[in-house]
Amino acid sequence: MNTLPQQLANGLLLGSMYGLIAIGYTMVYGIVQLINFAHGEIFMTGAFGALTVYAYILPHGTSMWAAVPLMLIGGAIVAVLVAVGAERFAYRPLRQAPRLAPLITAIGLSLALQEVVRNFYPGADKARSFPSLDTTHDLGAVTIKDADIFLIIAAIVCMSSLAYFVRKSRTGRAMQATAQDPDTAQLMGIDTNRIIVIAFAIGGLFAAVAAVSYGLKYGNVDYRMGFLMGLKAFTAAVLGGIGNIYGAMLGGVVLGIAETLASAYINNIPGMQQLGGQSWANVWAFCLLILVLLLRPQGLLGERVADRA
Amino acid sequence: MTDTTKTPTPENTAPATTAPRGPLPLPTAAARALLLAGGLATLASTFLAWTWTSEFPGDLTVYGYPGGLQWLTFTAGLLTTLFTLASYQVRGLRWLLPAGNNTPLLLTAVGAFGVTWFTILAIAIELGGLVNLEPGGWIAAVASLLPLLGALALPPATATSGTGSTGGTKETIKAYVAKPEHIPAAQPLNGWAQRLIITAVTALGLAVFTYGIDTEYGELFIGYLIVVVFAVWALHTAGLLDRFSRLVAANRGFTLAMGFAAAIAFPFTQTDDHYANIGVNILIFGTVALGLNIVVGLAGLLDLGYVAFLGVGAYTAALVSGSEFSKFSGVQFPFWAAALTGMAASLVFGVLIGAPTLRLRGDYLAIVTLGFGEIFRIAVNNMDGQSGPDVTNGPNGIPSIPDLKLFGFNFGNPHDLGGFTLGRFANYYLLMVLIMAIVVLVYTRAADSRIGRSWIAIREDETAATAMGINGFRVKLIAFALGASLAGLAGTVSAHVTYSVVPTPYQFAGSTPPNSAFLLAAVVLGGMGTVAGPLLGAALLYLLPEKLDFLQDKSLLAFGIALILLMRFRPEGIIANRRRQLEFHETGQLDIPDTPTLTGEPAVTTKAGA
Repeated sequence: MNTLPQQLANGLLLGSMYGLIAIGYTMVYGIVQLINFAHGEIFMTGAFGALTVYAYILPHGTSMWAAVPLMLIGGAIVAVLVAVGAERFAYRPLRQAPRLAPLITAIGLSLALQEVVRNFYPGADKARSFPSLDTTHDLGAVTIKDADIFLIIAAIVCMSSLAYFVRKSRTGRAMQATAQDPDTAQLMGIDTNRIIVIAFAIGGLFAAVAAVSYGLKYGNVDYRMGFLMGLKAFTAAVLGGIGNIYGAMLGGVVLGIAETLASAYINNIPGMQQLGGQSWANVWAFCLLILVLLLRPQGLLGERVADRA
Repeated sequence: MTDTTKTPTPENTAPATTAPRGPLPLPTAAARALLLAGGLATLASTFLAWTWTSEFPGDLTVYGYPGGLQWLTFTAGLLTTLFTLASYQVRGLRWLLPAGNNTPLLLTAVGAFGVTWFTILAIAIELGGLVNLEPGGWIAAVASLLPLLGALALPPATATSGTGSTGGTKETIKAYVAKPEHIPAAQPLNGWAQRLIITAVTALGLAVFTYGIDTEYGELFIGYLIVVVFAVWALHTAGLLDRFSRLVAANRGFTLAMGFAAAIAFPFTQTDDHYANIGVNILIFGTVALGLNIVVGLAGLLDLGYVAFLGVGAYTAALVSGSEFSKFSGVQFPFWAAALTGMAASLVFGVLIGAPTLRLRGDYLAIVTLGFGEIFRIAVNNMDGQSGPDVTNGPNGIPSIPDLKLFGFNFGNPHDLGGFTLGRFANYYLLMVLIMAIVVLVYTRAADSRIGRSWIAIREDETAATAMGINGFRVKLIAFALGASLAGLAGTVSAHVTYSVVPTPYQFAGSTPPNSAFLLAAVVLGGMGTVAGPLLGAALLYLLPEKLDFLQDKSLLAFGIALILLMRFRPEGIIANRRRQLEFHETGQLDIPDTPTLTGEPAVTTKAGA
């Protein structure tokens, strides 16, 4: 199954997941110029929220058709609450502080969330199994699972409704205004605090969708899953141009495909035989990030110059 | 806004004749007497037996002299008594309370109460019930409560009395623990007296620190922390720390020399090499934290993969150490060459990472360094010849690194020096003191130089600094590369100290130091931009998980929460850099001069007027 179309499909799927998480980084950044490092952990809490619904609330043997929507709701509730709570209690008091302060807070928050789950969620110190959708479909050159179909549909639905929301709805346009100039937006009667909370909430919601897809696809979740996924999703956001929601999705897809191709084909390059495979994929992803920062720091669809002091 | 339209309310016009009081209704004289009596009784109670069995660690079963935790109660009780006597204006002790406020009394009383009741409760819980207390324990519990009651009956010195007790509990507590705004300057001392004081304080500091490292069980360490925290806090609110820092400022070179003398003296006070091992680990951790402080504290760049540079140094040193498991097992560099190679390797990586990212907004650097830290961990884990090139031996690391030899001095063997035996770790400890001295020198010289001022300017406002002609990118790259190479230097030593290098310590977060999260926490907790801060932070963060093994599982959780709370409530850390403090709390107050102005009011310059 190592054909090129299959690799491209894998990359596209992985990339959609990165893109969904990257939305959270990019929306928050676009509005308050804050990198919410703890976003990867919000993704992780979303996964555990969904797992809670499946493992402790639903009766045993519920059909997946009923379980998945309920898990999505459970994950979304947890992730949105965590995201909004983080904004309210950790970031908002620091909005006027020097910019190092919220970054350090975010690190603390990310550690604390990981450790809360590890210490207090039953069995979370090891990977916990998550209901997976494993039925495969053979589409000629490409084989995909049910979970992949769910992921693709979820990503398309989320992205198009977000695009519609931001462009057409009153709140969405208020968001655009706040992103352009928070002070002026406030003078125009926009409650910027509310807009910021909404940005965090949408980030949490999308992270929860990504988390459920992750669980369904890989069949297990653990307390560390948010760290690498968050890092990659941030890379995707930068790749696409941070602050741009379409860029986040595009960046995610590009990163996913690049990573998959690198881990599948880089060992065919003479002299790099031993640098292929899954274990080196993360290394290539970060090399791509550094390369992008070097060559096109504003990202693929970047709209703003990246060095606001 | 509101002041202009304010009309006098009945509360404001209430007669201010009632003497200010604390929350407890007791006459001031009685309160003071209670403090004194309680302090003395606490002292006396430590000579009694508190429990009947020696199952509780430390020997608390003997009459006649204090033992274990009783010593801590004794110390706290002594401080309470001394401060109370000073508040009675007893000749010879008046210097303890230069501002004449009651806050130090309360804080020492709380400290004595805290450590005593902690001990009593620990006895009761660990041995299963209050029956395990001897009468002495009950006496101690009551005796340590008395000064607390007395102190609570005293008015807080900074109370804005007259407005009635309209302020909520938050205000009352704030008034109680506030440092007086103005501390009268001490009468000038001549040079040798100043140096004598500095020497005595350094010796005291060494003794306190050594006691902390040598604590043998968790209960003792907690008690130690309670006493030290409240004692230092009391000294701070009494204004003694301010006075001391003025002395230090006047004798900077002498203090630095004394500090290093104390650091060198540490292994000579130890009989067990295990504690020297703790010492050398704290020093490595502290040195790396100080290197990170250049990057984070001075230049304001958030480096989240800093431990990877330590790892690069350690792995480089291990590869050229002559270990038989190293890829280049035939190569054995002398230490100076290995140290230079390690520094150079870290420097190369620092420039490789820094050059593309430092042109951008600082947040990018944070994430790229985080990514680099992760790459480093993945790479050393995979370079085992199976899933990657054969360099680092994968998760097994490079073991059996030989001990260092410098000028025929083998660091692995114990040496006798003037009647003291210095074990293996003590040798490395002394080497680390030397390296620490180099790092402190680099740090202070760099911070005071043109480059150091550019770092601070960049940190405060990059746009303005660039407009003033500072090449922001170049200056930031220097900071980043300097920090990286200092970490590499520390890494070369740490490889030899631990005999082996393995990938596990060099990750973003783990439950034992050093890892990037702990390093950052050490810098932030101690105080960004200071020399003493990161060292104190490193010592604390190393000792806490080491001594409190029941915390092991939750230590990262505690640090995560501590980081959030620190940023919220005291972002400048324990030891505050003056500039940082003003930056984080933009209250509009600039420096208040020591001498009162003509009107007797402290001069307050508002930010708008400045």
